[in-house]
Amino acid sequence: MRNFLPSIFENPLSAILPAVPYAKEKKVDCHGVAIEAENLACSAQPGFPLAFRDVNFSIPCGCRAALIGPNGSGKSTLLRTLAGLNPLTKGTVNLLGVAPQFGRSRIAYLAQRPQLTPFFPLQLRRCVQMGTYAHHGWFEECHHGEAAIDKALDLLDLKELADRPVHQLSGGQLQRTLLARATVQGAEILLLDEPFAALDTRSREIVESFLFHSQNSFTVLMATHDPAELKRFDCILELNHGTLKTLHACAGHPHRHD
Amino acid sequence: MIDFFIQPLREDFFLRALVAILLSSTTAGCLGAYIILRRMAFISNALTHSILPGVAAAILLGFSLYWGALGAALITATGIAWLSSKKEISEDSAIGIMLSFMFAVGVGLISLSHAWRDFTSLLFGSILAVDKNDLWIISLTTAIILLSLRLLHKELELASFDEEYAQLIGAKPALLRVILLMLIALAAVASVRLVGALLTTALFIIPSATGVLLGKNLVQVMCWGIGVAILSGIAGLYLSFYFAELPSGAAIVICYMIPYLAARLFTRRV
Repeated sequence: MRNFLPSIFENPLSAILPAVPYAKEKKVDCHGVAIEAENLACSAQPGFPLAFRDVNFSIPCGCRAALIGPNGSGKSTLLRTLAGLNPLTKGTVNLLGVAPQFGRSRIAYLAQRPQLTPFFPLQLRRCVQMGTYAHHGWFEECHHGEAAIDKALDLLDLKELADRPVHQLSGGQLQRTLLARATVQGAEILLLDEPFAALDTRSREIVESFLFHSQNSFTVLMATHDPAELKRFDCILELNHGTLKTLHACAGHPHRHD
Repeated sequence: MIDFFIQPLREDFFLRALVAILLSSTTAGCLGAYIILRRMAFISNALTHSILPGVAAAILLGFSLYWGALGAALITATGIAWLSSKKEISEDSAIGIMLSFMFAVGVGLISLSHAWRDFTSLLFGSILAVDKNDLWIISLTTAIILLSLRLLHKELELASFDEEYAQLIGAKPALLRVILLMLIALAAVASVRLVGALLTTALFIIPSATGVLLGKNLVQVMCWGIGVAILSGIAGLYLSFYFAELPSGAAIVICYMIPYLAARLFTRRV
């Protein structure tokens, strides 16, 4: 029965139909700079007062950067702006040389409180598989990616939970699931909004060893509150009173903009 | 005993109604899963109810009932979108406004025609009402709806589960929502003959609510919804056949409640 049901939904049409990507991706030489902001000013929502102004920073590729600051200092707003979910009021932002926009498979964003539809019947594995959609387009079926999904499940220790409905997961398990989805997406930049907030020590170790593993070549920008954590990062940005300071820039990258 | 089941099948109108309920149940089961999971029951309710003025106008002015119904559904959908574009008015208030206004217009048009009797079949459906032409239209809409849902399955599932992520990867969740609403309107228009303008909403909601209780993933929810809708639909048609005074829409909806209650009582929600 379990194999029969999806086979009804096997799609012979996708063979005939042309592949229509969700969005055209511009490839630009980014000169080793992953994220760059100039004179950036934003508000949390259109019509709200500015959360920060005159923000300038640049993060080189491969850097693990922390974004710190008190509650309400605009960390989430900055991350959402970089992801393209929040319009910028002033200034310019470039990620891998291109302004934030939707449909960029090279950038993954993990919200602090993901807005998922409650009680949606979806098994964990299928949720992780959604990470591959970014590389597909309309009408296209996702057949490949099984190996990447297995690897991500393994990496984040989710193997036993693969058939569990997503709404039955605990906060930490869900966080790991969404991180696995970002991994499957194969993004080059990970924008993470307090990914450790809901994690217990073990989950946290799993996620940390993944994020800080030297073989993973992605760039990470992570909002965090934990001072003990900071020495692991190459670069620390602090948002406070509406301005951003680069406390500690990436070593070996002389082109700083602070 | 066997004669009890065979006898209605000798009637042409019953066979046509049977085909119609099979097709409508299939579309309703698939669309209903999205309606329930995305919490769109109220807006689908408004879309189906607002068919009434379109149908009444069509009968008064003598054009095809389907064009009238489709036009009315489109007016309602645009009306809701326009009213809720003002920040102070939330979407469900806008739905409430359009729903009651369109329904009032429908009642007004019906009273103009001085023929309430003809309209009971429009409100609650009639087993006798489905003719050959209707079957063609139902088949066509079923094909359109199933094809669209199949082609957009991956995107609709993603946008229904995690709208923000759909937005991030560029899968246009707002557009998908509009497409879904149009498909709901189309399905409602197609099943109005058999189930009636007042009760078509039940076609989408009750079998799929049963499906949500029983299915572990979206495809299973749809399959349960379709199965429940078809079986109860057929039972409803038999009921309506033997109790000639009972409109088919009412009979079908009553039959929908049985599997729903059974599922509700016998599933443990973990």
